[in-house]
Amino acid sequence: MLPGELCICQEKEATTSHYFLSGKIHLIEKFTTRLLLTLSLALVPQLGCLPSSPSDRPPGYLVIGLESSPTHLDPRYATDANSARIAALIFSSLTRMDERSRFKPDLAERWEMIDERTYLFHLKKGVTFHNGQPLTAADVKFTYETALDPKNQSPKRGLLNVVEAVDQLGPYTVRFRLKAPHAPFLESSMLGIVPEGSPRGRDPTENGLIGSGPFSLEKFLPGEKVVLKANTTYWEGQPSVSGLVFKIIPDAIIRVLEFKKGSVDFLQNDIEPDMLPWLKSNTNASILTRQGTIYQYIGFNLEHPILRHREVRQAIAYAIDREAIIRHLLKGLATPATGLLSPLHWAYESSVLRFSYNPEEANRLLDQAGFLDPDGEGPLPRFKLSYKTTTLDLRRRIAEALKEQLEKVGIELDVRTFEWGTFYEDIKKGRFHLYSLAWVGIADPDIYFTIFHSSSIPPHGNNRGRYRNPKIDQLLDRGRRISNLEERRGIYSRVQKMLAHDLPYIPLWWVKNVVVMKPTIRGFIPYPDGDLISLKEVSLAIPYPPSL
Amino acid sequence: MKYLLSRILLFLPAFLGAVTLIFFLIHLIPGDPVEVMLGETASPADKEILRQELGLDQPLLVQYLRFLSGLASGDLGDSLSQQGRVMDLILRRLPATLELTLAAMGIALMIALPLGIVAAVKRQTWMDHTSLLFSLLGLSIPNFWLGPLLIIVFSIELGWFPVSGRGGLSHLILPSITLGTAMAAVLTRITRSSLLEVIQEDYIKTARGKGLSEWSVWLKHALRNSLLSVITIVGLQFGSLLAGAIITETIFTWPGLGRLTIHAIQTRDYPLAQGCIMLISVSYLVVNLATDLLYKFADPRITYEK
Repeated sequence: MLPGELCICQEKEATTSHYFLSGKIHLIEKFTTRLLLTLSLALVPQLGCLPSSPSDRPPGYLVIGLESSPTHLDPRYATDANSARIAALIFSSLTRMDERSRFKPDLAERWEMIDERTYLFHLKKGVTFHNGQPLTAADVKFTYETALDPKNQSPKRGLLNVVEAVDQLGPYTVRFRLKAPHAPFLESSMLGIVPEGSPRGRDPTENGLIGSGPFSLEKFLPGEKVVLKANTTYWEGQPSVSGLVFKIIPDAIIRVLEFKKGSVDFLQNDIEPDMLPWLKSNTNASILTRQGTIYQYIGFNLEHPILRHREVRQAIAYAIDREAIIRHLLKGLATPATGLLSPLHWAYESSVLRFSYNPEEANRLLDQAGFLDPDGEGPLPRFKLSYKTTTLDLRRRIAEALKEQLEKVGIELDVRTFEWGTFYEDIKKGRFHLYSLAWVGIADPDIYFTIFHSSSIPPHGNNRGRYRNPKIDQLLDRGRRISNLEERRGIYSRVQKMLAHDLPYIPLWWVKNVVVMKPTIRGFIPYPDGDLISLKEVSLAIPYPPSL
Repeated sequence: MKYLLSRILLFLPAFLGAVTLIFFLIHLIPGDPVEVMLGETASPADKEILRQELGLDQPLLVQYLRFLSGLASGDLGDSLSQQGRVMDLILRRLPATLELTLAAMGIALMIALPLGIVAAVKRQTWMDHTSLLFSLLGLSIPNFWLGPLLIIVFSIELGWFPVSGRGGLSHLILPSITLGTAMAAVLTRITRSSLLEVIQEDYIKTARGKGLSEWSVWLKHALRNSLLSVITIVGLQFGSLLAGAIITETIFTWPGLGRLTIHAIQTRDYPLAQGCIMLISVSYLVVNLATDLLYKFADPRITYEK
């Protein structure tokens, strides 16, 4: 998965119906059940003979509820989180990440760095695609070359652009030559491999996609479901389950109700915090919560005459009570963040400046910056700023909490909510004072380059706040050239310390991963980035009936 | 026939107006489909190449004329966010939406006509008051609330229906009740008031004078004459049913046009969004035309010829 901000697919199609699970559900259930029972009993005899649909669950298949539909399953085009996660189950790649975000071999038996611009991958022998064809270096070369060809319009081209050439040195050896030293190159080795000769460009018949992963694609109905079948010839051994059904259920409450009904077995992260207590008390769900890497932050427009002042940014950071928001609005499903990299990351630096809730310090810093409160405790603010966010209910409630907290230090926050596309366009164009978003899928610390390097100001990157710091630029330039891990750790440690002081972003929290599954499911390992690859190791304690 | 021709001729400028409005409104929404397709990591040069390929670098007026010429030959273009042609994607989803909308309309009529008649015949009794209460509730309860409520009771507690998805008849009942309730509420009130108006007419007195039974007077003489207003409202409400289907489809994971429209707008898939909204507008125009023609069927005295 490409690192990216919470993409459209994760925030789209939100509805407002989670009201039902805010503790009032019991009352509603009792009342409506009694009210409608009489009416409905009259229908019972007729309903018994209604034709029912074919079951969504073939025997031995696991049903997973997803909020949004994957858009493309071809790994050369899969960019949104759900597409990337499902594609990873169909397509093996040269390397992949383990649950600690470390690279480990997948199709590659091993790899070596010949020099700073040359990498050699030795492939495992005996791996076959779902159609029985053996996987060789020719397939790897083909996959990368088609993704790099501008004619094919692959969204992965930007990430792979550092690759100068891919050479096949033998049936099972492939060499990558880079245009320049690029330490984060290994991220590019996680591209799923397709067989040589697969259609170039966007394939209108994705149902014919062939990979070499633990599952093969049985059916893809965009917006409805994706059905995967266990690959009996998978080189690591056949998965225990017969297959997987990814059922697209856009509405948060319906996903939970499907789980309660038993027609969905597994949910990961697509759960509103309010719903967990209800799930705990009303279902026999097995619930896992683990430290995650999704990073929620507040971004500043550093060209704004007030936000240009570091003291103001720090004051805002001190005025925000993260603990209270996490406790009350997120129901504990997050941990306060200190920066972009979570403690699970190898380059994480813990000794950075932290901003725990301290309104007095916030007031002092604002006074020091020259923004005095015109009437002390009175209603007049020191200044007024706008805060942009999406229309998602939880985002709106967080915005209201922030508004109230900032009011206490004399900052008036004008909360503006927008539909995702409009909101994101405004952020990219720099039309904001403050906004909040989340970064997902952070792998290499080089992500700092695209967010904070001065050459990454849009349209060339994601430095939307227009942050400029020559020292940071120098460090980030070095960080992507040097391949020694310890040296890189030192560089990114300095970057993290400097950014925590400069504060172009206010770190809010790292969202925890939440998995809700049937107690009969065994062996699932939650990955910090929400990867679903461990579904290949999952088994069912009690076999499911052939159909529901 | 002349009337039919003149109505069809009127249909064309209305259609053109609708598609023009749709085209420009969609292009006014901020957002860049090229970035959705290529991702943010794409270089500005790659984005520019794709923009040229899609014709998005042309002035809006040129894009509009190209869209109209495509439309004239029945070509709505290719979807930017999904594989395939817009027409194919729409036709794949259309049956689901039509199934849901027609079922909702059927349920609305099945509830509204008997309830409206009973309310009129038993005016100012508890039955009339119950019908009023139903109408008020039906109009006040939003779909996104009613849908989950029905699911909790009938799918979770009673276990009679599946929670969501499209399949057999059992999948259709809850979404069509959710979608049809508001329409049933309106139609109940219209049927009642229209019947009460007709019942004052002289020909009703004549019917009673002939010694017909009270139910025969209401059903054979009054109801048929009051149907004109009901037909008008059914036609007008069809558009809101299609609009309401967007929410209902999301709640019930119904793979129809509503969800496709939302997806198209969110991903700034201009051709797909235009196609979906255009279809909704055209349906609205066609249903209203059909409504006008139905008047004659409902009341043979109505003539459109001079």
